[in-house]
Amino acid sequence: MTTSIVRRAGSVRLHRKWWGLIFVLPVVTFFAAFNLFPTLFGLWLSFTDYDLLSPPVWVGLDNFANLFADRLFLQAFRNTLVFVLGATVPVWVLSLLAALVFDQAFRGRDLLKAAFFLPVLPPVVVIAVVWRLLLHSNGVLTSLTGGWWGVTEIRWLADATLAPFSVIAVHDWAIIPFFMMIWLAGLAAIPPELREAAAIDGAGPVRTFWHIDLPQLRSTAVLVAALSSINAFQTFALQYVLPTDPGGPANSTLVLGLLVLKYGFQYFRMGDAAAVSVVMFALIMAVTLFQLWFNRHA
Amino acid sequence: MRFLIRLATIIALFAWTGFATAEQVTIRMWMHEHPPRIPIDKSIIADFEKANRDVKVQYDVISGLEYSTKLLTAFAAGSGPDLFNNTSTLVTQYFAARILAPIDYDALGYANEAALLAKFQGGFDGIRFQGKLYGVPTEVSNWACFANNAIWREAKLDPKTDWPKTWESLPAVAEKLTKRDQNGVPIRRGFDFAWTIPGTFWFTPNTMIHQLGASMIDEDNYKAALDTTPSHRAFQYLQDWAVKYRLGGPQYTASRTDFLAGKLATECSFGIWGIPQMQAAGIDWTVMPAPRWADAVSDNGLDIYAYYMMVNARSAPAAQRAAWKLARFYTDHAAELFSGAGLFVPRTEVTESAAYKENPAAPFFLAELKKAKFSPRVVGYTQVLDTILRGKDKLVQGEKIDDVLPIMNEEVNAVMNRERARASTLVK
Repeated sequence: MTTSIVRRAGSVRLHRKWWGLIFVLPVVTFFAAFNLFPTLFGLWLSFTDYDLLSPPVWVGLDNFANLFADRLFLQAFRNTLVFVLGATVPVWVLSLLAALVFDQAFRGRDLLKAAFFLPVLPPVVVIAVVWRLLLHSNGVLTSLTGGWWGVTEIRWLADATLAPFSVIAVHDWAIIPFFMMIWLAGLAAIPPELREAAAIDGAGPVRTFWHIDLPQLRSTAVLVAALSSINAFQTFALQYVLPTDPGGPANSTLVLGLLVLKYGFQYFRMGDAAAVSVVMFALIMAVTLFQLWFNRHA
Repeated sequence: MRFLIRLATIIALFAWTGFATAEQVTIRMWMHEHPPRIPIDKSIIADFEKANRDVKVQYDVISGLEYSTKLLTAFAAGSGPDLFNNTSTLVTQYFAARILAPIDYDALGYANEAALLAKFQGGFDGIRFQGKLYGVPTEVSNWACFANNAIWREAKLDPKTDWPKTWESLPAVAEKLTKRDQNGVPIRRGFDFAWTIPGTFWFTPNTMIHQLGASMIDEDNYKAALDTTPSHRAFQYLQDWAVKYRLGGPQYTASRTDFLAGKLATECSFGIWGIPQMQAAGIDWTVMPAPRWADAVSDNGLDIYAYYMMVNARSAPAAQRAAWKLARFYTDHAAELFSGAGLFVPRTEVTESAAYKENPAAPFFLAELKKAKFSPRVVGYTQVLDTILRGKDKLVQGEKIDDVLPIMNEEVNAVMNRERARASTLVK
């Protein structure tokens, strides 16, 4: 009798195990086919010379060695770092400021918050197309700003010095509301008694922010920092659509994501494209690990 | 007995259908999207299938923007089309990767190359590699300059009499046609180059350098010739246009777009196919030849390009033969393609067609075509073009030509050397 019960329990467990495996199989298969395999295949491609038209030729680490002597890669690398800097630090600060404003109770707050959030909704390409018109050398933004000092042409997107900053500005404008919402969620999670206690102790808004809000927002800050950095490293669409030509002028907005496209599908250098992707992956991984380490040890 | 008869009938039917299936060839044909051409394509293919019961054609139209990438990925996946159309600027890469099958004259229905060439009045220079032809032209296009008569008249100029025959005289005429604001910023340009459209810009310096008896790239020796006197003159001219004369530049709306919007007086990047677009935009036009240098040694106008129908060398032999057969059938409808889709191929039946004779610009385009040259064809064309565009950007930003051109030359050489070495490494 006991043996039979034990055997039945074992059989049920085995059945459950099989059913469990059957249930997760579609997701595992999908993940393996569309995530794992492309990732591993991309990694393998980075060790080959492959023009898409002929079979790949194994070249070992040559692609990686050549990248660091490649002017185009170095320029894209530099541009990416500049973009990441411009698309993270100001975003953190401004989105937090916006969140602090919208965390206060005032008339019309919800309506204003919804309006402020609007830039997050359209796809990046739509944003880029609209801003391309606004940032035309003789466009609306030139009329609005240049009019102050009598200038009728500002090459927002056609000047190699100005274009990267124009791209950063558009990016930040579009992404700040998204991160503001994350900060707002973080602010909402702070127990109100902490602020009340600080108020009773005579702390003003600035001291409350520094000593109560900011320490409580640490995990939110890590999330904002990680998401914004990953997003910035992967940037592509803005640099493709916004400037006068993709990555232009004079490659001043060429970033690593765009270089992958150029190498792979325009220059027929799929091995180099894969190598750039691996470098991007390593960069993003390093930055994220650093942020996690910083959060744990700071 | 009845059972035996039935059995024999069934066996015979199976044998017949099996035989028919074995003989039938299905070929895949890829064309880039050109809406007026699509119904003509379909009608040609239907007629071809009727005339060749053993060939079935799977016809796919792919958007122009995605066409090259899709071709590339299809070839990479081993599922490239048997017959496909593409432009002369991109074919070198396919040739280097041995994607292109040399013409099978027997399947194409010509005795030999001479017989094929006799049918055409040119257009094959873009598809000849190492002495062999690899495709048949479906469009040979050269550009000319179009003046917006209304704007010229407004500036008290007549395109026919005041036309700048030389590059040297163009800035003065363009200035008369240009309207500027209080800061000297053009609010309407007299003429401008296609600065931001890579494939279009490629033809501009190439044309200018060809007129000086040189070429941006020495195709035979595979060397860049960008740091030469003719190249300096062409690029200096382009830099002066944007920086010194401030007659235009990449910061403005693309020239072709502005011309069709009636905001640019003169545009030099339209082929004969552009006329319907101008008519639709309500522009009263005059067609004129591209300027030449005052001391030009070659009387060529703007460079030509062509689209060719090519056959995939990796397809099965039967599919390749069927594809060449279809290429012949298709290109024999050149007159229809010209009248219905504006695609010009220099063949007698086109130049003698009613549509051609009724088109006032047609003889002019043909005369210019005969003098025009193909831009150099190189492996890694897009990368070479990108490098040149980067140099152009630097010039427009005001960098010195003596600093920019040597670097541009060195970079283009590096790209070409690398790509040529790769081609021989990859293709064994």
